[in-house]
Parts: sequence; structure tokens; C-alpha cells
Amino acid sequence: MICRNFGRIAVSLGLLFAIVGLTGAVLGAQPRERQPAVRPSVWEVPPQPQPPPAQQNEFVPLKDLPPLQQERIPAAPLVMGAYAFVWVALLLYVWSVWRRVGAVQRELADLRRRTERKA
Amino acid sequence: MKRYLSPLLFVAMVMFAIAPVLIVRAPYESTMGLVQKIFYYHVPSAMMMFTSAFVCGIASAMFLFRGRASADHIAAAAAELVVVFGAIVLVTGPLWARKAWGVWWEWDFRLTSSLLLWMIFVAYLLVRKYGGPGSEKLAAAMALFGMADVPFVYVSVNIWRTLHPKTTVIPELPKPMMGPFWFSVAAFVVLYIALLGIRTALGRERSELERAFLDLEEE
Repeated sequence: MICRNFGRIAVSLGLLFAIVGLTGAVLGAQPRERQPAVRPSVWEVPPQPQPPPAQQNEFVPLKDLPPLQQERIPAAPLVMGAYAFVWVALLLYVWSVWRRVGAVQRELADLRRRTERKA
Repeated sequence: MKRYLSPLLFVAMVMFAIAPVLIVRAPYESTMGLVQKIFYYHVPSAMMMFTSAFVCGIASAMFLFRGRASADHIAAAAAELVVVFGAIVLVTGPLWARKAWGVWWEWDFRLTSSLLLWMIFVAYLLVRKYGGPGSEKLAAAMALFGMADVPFVYVSVNIWRTLHPKTTVIPELPKPMMGPFWFSVAAFVVLYIALLGIRTALGRERSELERAFLDLEEE
């Protein structure tokens, strides 16, 4: 019974893992503002971007310019999404092959029965 | 179906479960940090994609020029595996690139030729499924072109200017990273052999089924 349901269980777990991982990867790969020292959570709403500075009419030295808004892409969602995709792709393929093997073996058994009945 | 294939598949799944533990313990790369961990699945997948393309090409040549039906079963199985491992490479690569390069995709030679290689084998499967009688030979001819593409994909990073790291990365890998990397490669190799064997056996059983139906109709 476990062997029969193995494909379904494996695919269900793999799909769940992949959905969580891929969703996190896509959401988390959006560029973010520079975060404070506390470790940012993937699910936090990022702070609103500051409006651009007004056009300057005179020379301003580099040291007096406001600090640049650096793009920060969290890596963890991308790594989780990649590993989740690998698992899902392989489990889906294994399940697909198992299903096709089952179908062919059922047809072979049916054919043998028909041949025996004829004989 | 051969008795060793299911245990081999089980061993591969166990190795895949152990690999993340080794990967977590591997040191971080100094410039890319955490995102470099994708390397431990991305590179072995690419190796399996190239290997499978060669297996498909060689088996297709034997089918075309020697007429061996068993070679055709191996070729069909290997083509499916090129598509599966190629999909893994083409998804994990951009996830890594988003962080490392700031873009999901770049039309440089390595990435573009990898995508072309994958598309050749997708076309192989479509031709076999929908091509009608004689499509096996047409698909086998396509597989030869797919096999010829592999060396170009591999050396492209050494010849042309690309964003993608060169092939010297693997031989120059630091020792603490070598262990997890080669363990991942071993896991992928075991899985590849198991999947190739199972899928080839499926092709053989389908042929037997078709022959049995024909015999029944003749009676």
C-alpha cells in the first residue's frame, strides 16, 4: 500500500516544499532598501523609498551627498527556491515514470489474460 | 524490471537527503556568500545534462547506423533526462544569477547555448510523440546535433567573454568545498543511472506490449 501511494505522497510533499520555496524566492528577490542592523525577515514589508533629491544648481562635494540607496537582495529565498525546484522536478519525473510503468504493466497483464482465454 | 534499479533509486534519494547537511557545513564563498550554495546542485545537474546528451547522441547513432532497437530505447530515456536536468540547470542558474549578477538572465554564449541544447532535446521528445511513423529516425538525427552542441556549451566560457564562471572553478575549488561538491555529483550520478535504467526498461516493455498486440491481431 505504501508503494502504491509512494508516488502521491512524494509528489505532494515535494510540491508543498516547492511552492513555499519558490514563492519565497520570487518575493524575496525584489530589491530592498538598506535594512537596519536587525536580521530582516523575508515576509516584512520593506520601508517606503525616499523621494529623489531636488535638482542641484551648484557644485556639491561628494562627501556632502546623501548616502546611496543600495539594492539588497536576500539570498536565502533564492537558495530555498533552487533546492525546492530540484526536489520537485526530480520527484515529478520519478512519479511520471512510475505511472507509465504501472500503465504498461497493467496492459501487459490484461493482454496475457486475453491470450490465455483464447488458448 | 531489473531488481537493482529500485534499490539504486532509494540510495540516490538517501544521498540527496544527506547532501544538504554537507552543503550547509561547507564554508561560504567570500564574494557571493549564501547564494553560492546553489552551486552544489547547479553544476552536477549541468554535468548530468551533458552526459545524457552524449548518451542520447551515441545511442541514436547506433540506432541510425546499426539499426539496434535497444539503442533507441536508451536514446529516448536519455533525451528525457536531458530535458529534466536541463530544466534544473536553467532554473537554478537564474536564481543564482539574480543575486550574483543582479539580473535573472543574460544572453551570453554559455546561457544561450545551454538553452538551445535544452530546446533541441525538447524538440526530440515532441518529434517522437507527435511525429508519426518513422519519427524515431528523425529524432535520432536531431540528437546527433544536440550531442554536437555540448562541446560548444562547455568551452564557451573559456573562449568568449561571458558573465558565467570559467571551467577552471572546479579544479581550483578549496578543499572544504570539494567534499560536498563531489558527494553531490555522486548523488546525481547514482540517480541518473537509476532513472536511465528505469526509463529504458519502460521503453523495452512498451515495445513488447506493441509486439504482443500485433501477434494477437494476427491470430
